[in-house]
Amino acid sequence: MAWVILIFAGLLETFGIAMISQLSVKRNAQTIVLLILSFGSSLTLLSYSLRIVPMGIGYAIWTGIGVVGGALIGMLFFDESKDWRRMVFIAMVLSAAVGLKLVS
Amino acid sequence: MLSGFFVLILRKKKRWGDHSMDKNWVKLFFAAFLEVFWVIGLTYSYNLWTWTVTIILVIVSNYLMITTAQVLPAGTVYAVFVGLGTCGIVFADILFFGESFEWAKVFLVAVLLIGVIGLKLVTEEKREKGVEA
Repeated sequence: MAWVILIFAGLLETFGIAMISQLSVKRNAQTIVLLILSFGSSLTLLSYSLRIVPMGIGYAIWTGIGVVGGALIGMLFFDESKDWRRMVFIAMVLSAAVGLKLVS
Repeated sequence: MLSGFFVLILRKKKRWGDHSMDKNWVKLFFAAFLEVFWVIGLTYSYNLWTWTVTIILVIVSNYLMITTAQVLPAGTVYAVFVGLGTCGIVFADILFFGESFEWAKVFLVAVLLIGVIGLKLVTEEKREKGVEA
């Protein structure tokens, strides 16, 4: 169950990043409220799941879902660059960040 | 390899002659720098005063990140924010909190920084609506 909550926290984080993009399209109170709510609930669920899931692994998965999800949603819905070099560099940052969270 | 990247940066700058987006990158790096302190604060805050500072840092750091993502692609901004924050926290852990130094960490930090420099090179600013160059 803790793992399911962890993945759900990652999805909420992805939704939060989508709201950051949405803010640049349309700046209104609704988007800002959704942004704060999604990040807030994501962090709450993360800390709850970390009572059971080991810290390094939990953070790594949460970060990973957020970065991958944020990049995909940006490319699919917000017209962000699909340049292969950009994807390679994001993959480098992502894998190194996940690796660092796992070894620390 | 790293020096090759720096040569690339210098060359690009000369060709473009445009530093307008550098300001946003500096803002993003500063947001990641602040992130290190609030992550430490989340672990070590023990009274009203330290929690207040931590929460202010959370707000300022995320505010800077979110405003940067209004100009640069959010996917890129979030990856760099999280990546550099992680780097900084690993450094702080080794320097101040007695975590062990390992070459694997140095290698991963190097990969991460090359990725960030690469992203800075290939990223374009979002164009203002209706203002096509």
